[in-house]
Amino acid sequence: MIRFKNVSFQYTKEQDSLKNIDLTINDGDVVLVCGPSGCGKSSLVRCVNGLIPHYYQGRMTGSVTVGETDVSKTTLRKLSRHVGTVFQNPRSQFFNVDTTSELAFGCENFGIEPRDIEQRINSVVNRHGLGKLMDRSIFKLSGGEKQKIACASIAVEPIDVVILDEPSANLDFAGVCELQRMIESWKEEHKTILIAEHRISYLFPYISRALLMNNGEIVKEFTAGEIRKLSEEELHGLGLRAEEMQDPTDISIDTKDAKKSDEKMVLSNMTYSYKGEQPVFDIPQMELPRGEIIGITGANGAGKSTFLRCLCGLERSCKAVLKIDNELWNNQMRLRNIYMVMQDVNHQLFTDSVLEEVMISQETEDREEALKILGSLDLKEYADKHPLSLSGGQKQRVAVASAIASGRNIILFDEPTSGLDYSHMLQVSELLKKLRDKGKTVIIVTHDIELIKNACTIVIPFARLKM
Amino acid sequence: MEYKLDRNVHSLLDPRTKLLLLFTSSVFVVGNAGEKRMVVFYWILVYLPVLLLFVEKEWKAGLISVSIYVGSYFAQKALQHDLTALESALALMLYIITKILPTVILARYIVKTTKVSEFLTAMNRLHVTDKLTIPISVIFRFFPTVVEESRSINDAMRMRGVEMGAGKATEAVEYRMVPLIASCSIIGEELSAAAMTRGLDVGKKRSCIWDIRFGIFDFFIITLCLLCFIWWVIGRFCI
Repeated sequence: MIRFKNVSFQYTKEQDSLKNIDLTINDGDVVLVCGPSGCGKSSLVRCVNGLIPHYYQGRMTGSVTVGETDVSKTTLRKLSRHVGTVFQNPRSQFFNVDTTSELAFGCENFGIEPRDIEQRINSVVNRHGLGKLMDRSIFKLSGGEKQKIACASIAVEPIDVVILDEPSANLDFAGVCELQRMIESWKEEHKTILIAEHRISYLFPYISRALLMNNGEIVKEFTAGEIRKLSEEELHGLGLRAEEMQDPTDISIDTKDAKKSDEKMVLSNMTYSYKGEQPVFDIPQMELPRGEIIGITGANGAGKSTFLRCLCGLERSCKAVLKIDNELWNNQMRLRNIYMVMQDVNHQLFTDSVLEEVMISQETEDREEALKILGSLDLKEYADKHPLSLSGGQKQRVAVASAIASGRNIILFDEPTSGLDYSHMLQVSELLKKLRDKGKTVIIVTHDIELIKNACTIVIPFARLKM
Repeated sequence: MEYKLDRNVHSLLDPRTKLLLLFTSSVFVVGNAGEKRMVVFYWILVYLPVLLLFVEKEWKAGLISVSIYVGSYFAQKALQHDLTALESALALMLYIITKILPTVILARYIVKTTKVSEFLTAMNRLHVTDKLTIPISVIFRFFPTVVEESRSINDAMRMRGVEMGAGKATEAVEYRMVPLIASCSIIGEELSAAAMTRGLDVGKKRSCIWDIRFGIFDFFIITLCLLCFIWWVIGRFCI
């Protein structure tokens, strides 16, 4: 049993992260904690795995007990024998480099007999069909595969509470299905499961109840039946994602927005293969309409990101040519004329102020023009701030600002909305539309169905492209 | 197909042997202790890391290192007459490369072939404190992370057309380092939080699924290292 007694927590002085939480979760319950970004759902689950107050320091009042133990009076190590956590970012939750050691890691730390660990690993791996992922380097896995390993490594541990902190943020349709299977098996083992998420529909079959949080408080509690009945508008009103589980390869959208202009660019000879392997994709020729928001959809690991990298001219071994206005663009030309906003924006912000970030993209530095661009993206007040001190959404807008400043007319986005809640996703969608209004051609690869429905004027399923 | 964990998978050498070899190589190759007297051992220690590369089937890296060795050996021979400024700069550079390269290859070999868990256990058996080994073990994890992050940053720089740093060399460095440090520190923070929720802590006994023990090759390498030191000590203090 997990019990919160009048718990409040502040990371910093200004703002409460949790306010007066009273909550009892029975053994074997599956509880969804949902709400928009910054509502306190991550803080709530951190109180259970002990990262609050043991790792993230702040002011805490009230008490959290897991079973018989008071979280604030025990150590993280003791708590880790009862509570296991799968985190959002698959890049940063592995201590080991090889997958097999990662599965064993928790049990090794508890000092369990190697022979017992071996048996536990064998049974988890065979139960979830992970044989192919064993004895591999973590760095050679895709995001979805990493998340599978993260779940499996928790499944190997003999714990009774499982915490999932936005586990689906980087997962596509198939990845979410795998995650569902994992949750199902934990449920069969009567583990208590606590999930912080804003993509919620995939959890409906498993949860016993859902807690809605806002501003650090639990504002409403739903039974599984109640939350299932909420309409799309009602969910959006609560800041939640409403998308149904859907295979992105058979998505259709309203194309009435499309300009259907005759201006097209032709991409030819688009092939790419890793050393000594079958080509990831082989596209002799395809037409891309100009001035549209083109969504390229497909499963994780299908090669969408590689497609963007090749299109942008980053992959030297790809010999594709883009024909535009009777000009032929090779890799070098595309590298100079196409802008890509990467999935991890942190990698592409280099300078120490937002203004400078925009100015280094300009052909000739023009302060006034740069400020105007920042103004059009609501970034003017941040002009002197360090780009890395901004929030994720603001960083993305800084990258877009520098794309506009560069004067390039084709802008690519790699998964611009992974991990975003409804209102932030809408912001990105508005941003894309703004770019289109400026006459830019926007190409995004994504598995976010709501973004596709909201923003894209044309959808190209990647699987069909590969043929 | 039924999966079965094989706990006997390990590289040729025990982690403890690898570290002893790294230490020996630092003293006698980089540090050049013993100089003329150690010349036989010196060449063994220079070529041993390449041999290890071949054992790990890294043919390309191995052949490149051998050709650098051979090339710089002959270049140094050729550069033994009276030198111009440029030639002596070149000779100095070659000298530094041949001193440092073997140890770099060895360090890379160790990072590549040692599992974090093996390393922790090996250090534990040597009674080294966790306060030291846990931070060091993170290096194994961080080398590939830094490589991966730098690659993405490099791509971003190429795409934005700022490789040359808008003219200034300092900027080219700054543009690389700022995002690299930022993302590595985020990863580092999240990583330690994750490791702690999985029960990693100092001063507690942990088990290890990998069977680590000394084998015949460890015996050879350890003997070699010990001989190096004995031979050196004899030369230093007894003659």
